[in-house]
Amino acid sequence: MPHLAPVTVAPPTVLVSLHKSGMPQPRSPTVRLVAGLAITLSAVALYSGYTVRQLHGLERLQGGIIDRNRADSLLLLRIQNNLNSLGLAMRDMLEGSEPYPLTAWQGQFRRIRTDLEDAIAREAQSSPLDRDADQRKYLSDSLGQFWDALDRIFGLAQSGQEAEARTLIRLSLQARQEALSTAVARLLVQNNESEQQAGARIRGVYAGVERNVYLFVAAMLVLILLTSLYLVHYNRRLFEEVAVLSARRSELAQQLIAMQENTFRSISRDLHDDFGQILTAVGAMLQRTSRRPADPDSLGADLREVQEIVQSTLDKVRALSHALHPVILDEIGFEGALDQYLPGFQKQTGIEVHYEKSGAACELDRAVAIHLYRVMQEALNNIAKHSQSNRAEVRLRFLPEAVVLEVEDHGVGFGRSHAYGMGLVSMRERADLVNGRLDLENCSSGGALVRLTVPATGQEAHA
Amino acid sequence: MTRRTLLGGAAARALAGSGASPDFRLTDVTGAAGIQFRHNSGAFGAKYLPETMGPGCAFFDYDADGWLDILLVNGMGWGGLDNAGHRRERTTMRLYRNNRNGTFTDVTERAGLAVEMYGMGVAIGDYNNDGFPDLLVTAVGQNRLFQNNGRGRFLDVTEKAGLGGRSAFSTSAMWFDFDRDGLLDLLVCNYVKWSAAHDVFCSVDGKRKSYCTPEAYHGETCWLFRNRGNGTFEDVTAKSGIFDSSSKSLGVALLDYDRDGWPDLLIANDTQPNKLYHNLRNGTFEDVAVRAGVAFSDDGKARAGMGVDTADFDNSGAESIAITNFDNEMMALYRPGRDGTYKDAAQAGGVGQASRASLGFGCAFLDIDLDGRLDLVAVNGHIDETVRRIHGNVGYAQAPHLFLNDGKGGFRDVAAQAGGGFASPKVARGLAYGDFDRDGSPDLLITTNQGAAYLYRNQQLSGNRGVRLHLTGTKSNRDAIGAVARVFAPEGAQSRRVKSGSSYLSQSELTLTFGLGKRDAASRLVIEWPSGAVQEFKNVRAGSYQCTEGQGLTAG
Repeated sequence: MPHLAPVTVAPPTVLVSLHKSGMPQPRSPTVRLVAGLAITLSAVALYSGYTVRQLHGLERLQGGIIDRNRADSLLLLRIQNNLNSLGLAMRDMLEGSEPYPLTAWQGQFRRIRTDLEDAIAREAQSSPLDRDADQRKYLSDSLGQFWDALDRIFGLAQSGQEAEARTLIRLSLQARQEALSTAVARLLVQNNESEQQAGARIRGVYAGVERNVYLFVAAMLVLILLTSLYLVHYNRRLFEEVAVLSARRSELAQQLIAMQENTFRSISRDLHDDFGQILTAVGAMLQRTSRRPADPDSLGADLREVQEIVQSTLDKVRALSHALHPVILDEIGFEGALDQYLPGFQKQTGIEVHYEKSGAACELDRAVAIHLYRVMQEALNNIAKHSQSNRAEVRLRFLPEAVVLEVEDHGVGFGRSHAYGMGLVSMRERADLVNGRLDLENCSSGGALVRLTVPATGQEAHA
Repeated sequence: MTRRTLLGGAAARALAGSGASPDFRLTDVTGAAGIQFRHNSGAFGAKYLPETMGPGCAFFDYDADGWLDILLVNGMGWGGLDNAGHRRERTTMRLYRNNRNGTFTDVTERAGLAVEMYGMGVAIGDYNNDGFPDLLVTAVGQNRLFQNNGRGRFLDVTEKAGLGGRSAFSTSAMWFDFDRDGLLDLLVCNYVKWSAAHDVFCSVDGKRKSYCTPEAYHGETCWLFRNRGNGTFEDVTAKSGIFDSSSKSLGVALLDYDRDGWPDLLIANDTQPNKLYHNLRNGTFEDVAVRAGVAFSDDGKARAGMGVDTADFDNSGAESIAITNFDNEMMALYRPGRDGTYKDAAQAGGVGQASRASLGFGCAFLDIDLDGRLDLVAVNGHIDETVRRIHGNVGYAQAPHLFLNDGKGGFRDVAAQAGGGFASPKVARGLAYGDFDRDGSPDLLITTNQGAAYLYRNQQLSGNRGVRLHLTGTKSNRDAIGAVARVFAPEGAQSRRVKSGSSYLSQSELTLTFGLGKRDAASRLVIEWPSGAVQEFKNVRAGSYQCTEGQGLTAG
């Protein structure tokens, strides 16, 4: 009997759960990158908030203290300048170098008073918030007294008492002017001190902001570095996996070609060795029968022998045809094919096969059915070759979302080898083609389990 | 500064850079005219403050022949003042008579003006209403009043007029009739209390003496003298409210800021607030400069005001004020608002930035291209010959500015395109204008410190014409100082005031010039005399006219 070699499969050794193609899937970096981005954005937002807060603080400090102090100091200087002008005018009045009576200075004092009162009113609006109200009151009262005294002096001058007026200028007016000048100078000093304090606080704020800028930049650099390292690592893994995949594809292609050649060789050998010899034998028997005298008994015996040979040849042709393509799949569907194949396998290999079906059966697409069928064949062949088990279980489950095919034995299991045989590669590719998932597991009680899960979408995709 | 003024200024600057040729040409005719003058500041190394402040100049018709003559004020050596033997040469002011052919003759000696004095400025007015202009020459020391006797000679009547016995550092002066009695009164600006004996040591580098800024000295009041009408003057400085011993005044100009018909005063002060004396119509004045917004710069700083002029440059009917200041302070160009306050439009008008690096002295509004819009001339020059060592962008000699009025509130400096070397850097001080060649265009006269005087002849290139108007008062003061003439044309009305004073230490002609552009005539001419009388004339053709108060308009 010619032997049609079944496709050989290397012992499956992968223990881990494999997705689709059975390869370990790299975890997507998106989640980590999004997390990193979120952390970065949060850090930027936090730092921006911190900076804005510091800037507002600086603005408050600058506007509230320094600018106000500066504006106030300018007005105090204007007041001081006016007080100096008063002093100079009084000096001129006392010097007597001008050929004019004391009353000539009335207009000049009026002008200074206008400007002074304007400056004092403005200064009151811009004075620092912590200015002592008593100081302002003192300034205002002293100025009032100064103008009163001045009016009395001009009154004396107008009545011709210039000498008395000059005495009063020396005794009263000049002293008041000096006191006022001192008070304004004190306010200027206070403003200056306050400005210095504010300046120190601002320098402190700047130093803090500078330190935090450095920290922030450092943190950002670390974050960028980590992200870059992660991306480099992930890319490297990706490239490695692509290389492995590519190598496997190449191996698969080579093995497919080899398998094709083997198949052709096997068919050729069968045709030559079996069918050629049979047809030659049939021809020789028919020739012998034609030369032999007509003997009904021997003729009948020859014809029966020819008939047996032809029947045997027909069986072999059918077996070969079935091996090349299980036509029964087209004729009676996957379940029917399974029902017909398993007893044959049991008979051929002596392995007892226990078949179990559950769930509401549905009609499988032909494209899906052939892959399920081949995976089942491959798994049983592996059992026959490698498992050293005399018993196998085939389970077919129809779930609402998938069809699950399990082939289990109670033999030696996959072991620890990481080698992938052609049979395993073939099963993986078939699982891929139907968008399915192939699981290879060592059973806890010993033995191996091959599970192919074909999702409903996989079936629809091939419908 | 608002964004609008900033943009306006930028636009004006962009326009200034356009380089369009002006419609006039200046020619330096100093040598051709026979003017050979060199100012003697008396400088010998002691760096006395007055040495860097003068001198002034004037256009006036001293012999009343209808042709403008020239007076150039001069200083002198200090020998007579500090007894240090520093006198090098005898120098006096110079009077140049117009020969009516573009040349001048020095008639100083003949006119009796070869008087040695440390002259600073000059104010010219017919204070005795005899028809001949008299001279007030300000000085470091005693100012002098020279009365014109009408026969080509001047008599020193200082003592007789009651102006003697006063020694000061006087600067600009101005004749005007503040009480509107028909007699010209006199205002004299004084700078600081200075004398050689009490000179202060100032130094830029801490070693060598340099010229002090006025902060080193006490101020000095301006003087106001009322004309009694009998050849003498009464000092009304105190009585009038003008007195202010803190003033450091360099320039004075006449205006009527509240348009009440009574003459007001604008006095430019150096490092002190400017003064705007409002005439209260009772012989007294009130300083309203702070209220009016002209006392300080926009940022509240008292600038170093030097020269000043007032005019209706925007043909609004109201007078604006131009003041030259120190370098980095920019010129001021105060335009009046409706509420009696002024706004400084220098930056928006393109004058501010252009004058930032200039230390300005003399300035004057005049219609140099006769287009009916008053232009602005300012002459510049630093006080310190070593300034470039300290401020790289500022020189001792500086180019003058000639700002052409675009009629929209903007100016562009065309000094470099005016010709005649007008834009050559000078240490300029005095500036006066007058039509010395009677071609209808105002010519320019400039004096420089310790240098020559410059006479620039102005010629129109595009055929612009104008109306020239010389006024003679009868009830009003004879020079008609304070009179306002308004010329009406379809484009609008121009107004000009007859003024003494203005600029810096100098006096321009009293004849008014109205540019008509290409027009043949003005539709209307209205004259408002200081006496209050108003005269109106219709359809006045381009040309020169005389008008005596209460009488008709005559050509000539």
